[in-house]
Amino acid sequence: MSESEQEGGDKWGIAHVHASFNNTLITVTDQTGAETIAKSSGGTVVKQNRDEASPYAAMQMAETVAEEVKAAGIEGLHVRVRGPGGNLTKSPGPGAQATIRALARAGLEIGRIEDVTPIPHDGTRAPKNKRV
Amino acid sequence: MSERSVSRQKRGKRWYTLVAPEQFDRKELGETMADEPEKVMGRTIETTLGELTGDQSANNTKLTFKVTDVGSDAAYTEFVKHELTRDYLRSLVRRGASKIAVNRTVLTTDDYRVKLQPVAITTKKADRSQEQAIRRIMIDKVEAAAKDNTFEQLVDSIVEGRLSSAIYGDAKTIYPLRRVEVMKLALEARPEEVAAEEEAAVDVDEEDVAVDEDAA
Repeated sequence: MSESEQEGGDKWGIAHVHASFNNTLITVTDQTGAETIAKSSGGTVVKQNRDEASPYAAMQMAETVAEEVKAAGIEGLHVRVRGPGGNLTKSPGPGAQATIRALARAGLEIGRIEDVTPIPHDGTRAPKNKRV
Repeated sequence: MSERSVSRQKRGKRWYTLVAPEQFDRKELGETMADEPEKVMGRTIETTLGELTGDQSANNTKLTFKVTDVGSDAAYTEFVKHELTRDYLRSLVRRGASKIAVNRTVLTTDDYRVKLQPVAITTKKADRSQEQAIRRIMIDKVEAAAKDNTFEQLVDSIVEGRLSSAIYGDAKTIYPLRRVEVMKLALEARPEEVAAEEEAAVDVDEEDVAVDEDAA
């Protein structure tokens, strides 16, 4: 905590948002993705396991993360959203939207939003259909 | 993670400014934090072409740079990858159109090994023979470009879109094309690595190749 880092002002970071249907993981790193600045997951804000993926949990997480990020002197975030991917569903879960919105509302500038869901160039067989 | 452990971690970490290679005017790419300079080596940073050139329309291209040299508060990078964003590529492909892609690994004149993936998107479904002809042109163009360009020139010609427009000019006579792009360009090996591989490679004589016809 010396010279420039406190009031660097225009520093940017990357928010990696892994939004699955069972949980949401938020990790904020520097622009190279090598240094973690803040992280959070559903279990830190809700009691019930099934609520970990909820938009509400994502919002709470994003707020605490945003605070830590701002304390580290970062003003804006690029967002990398990711769903389960692979042979599972390619679309991000319910926490993704809520996270981005909450981050923006917390006063962080949002830059590029990119989908980084891993998409196979043909991998293993997809799971069979769920029957009720 | 308690509040105290965070502050202890943060202490002694310094910010390094990431600087683009000369080819990209030594622009500032961003900043990274590390406690030891060695840890900055090998980190990669991704920016869009638009951010680098100030051209807002060019935000569909991602460029990746890798740190190769660390100074006191700056880290110098080299170009390693050029890639189209996934959403842009998907927006090009329409229903009933063909996507013709090629993946080619070539050696430039200054011995950089580079992987190139051009892609052409037609307006309507193309026949296989047409696809093959377009693919042929793409391969020829890519290999010709590698044959008389250095790595730097090749990167330039792709970033500025010269290679893709050259392919477009030739291939549109075969079938109407919507767009030709270079989907990906990735640095695979530097001259030293290529040379080291050649050194390590063993020549295999014809008679050494065991085709044991008698034993079978």
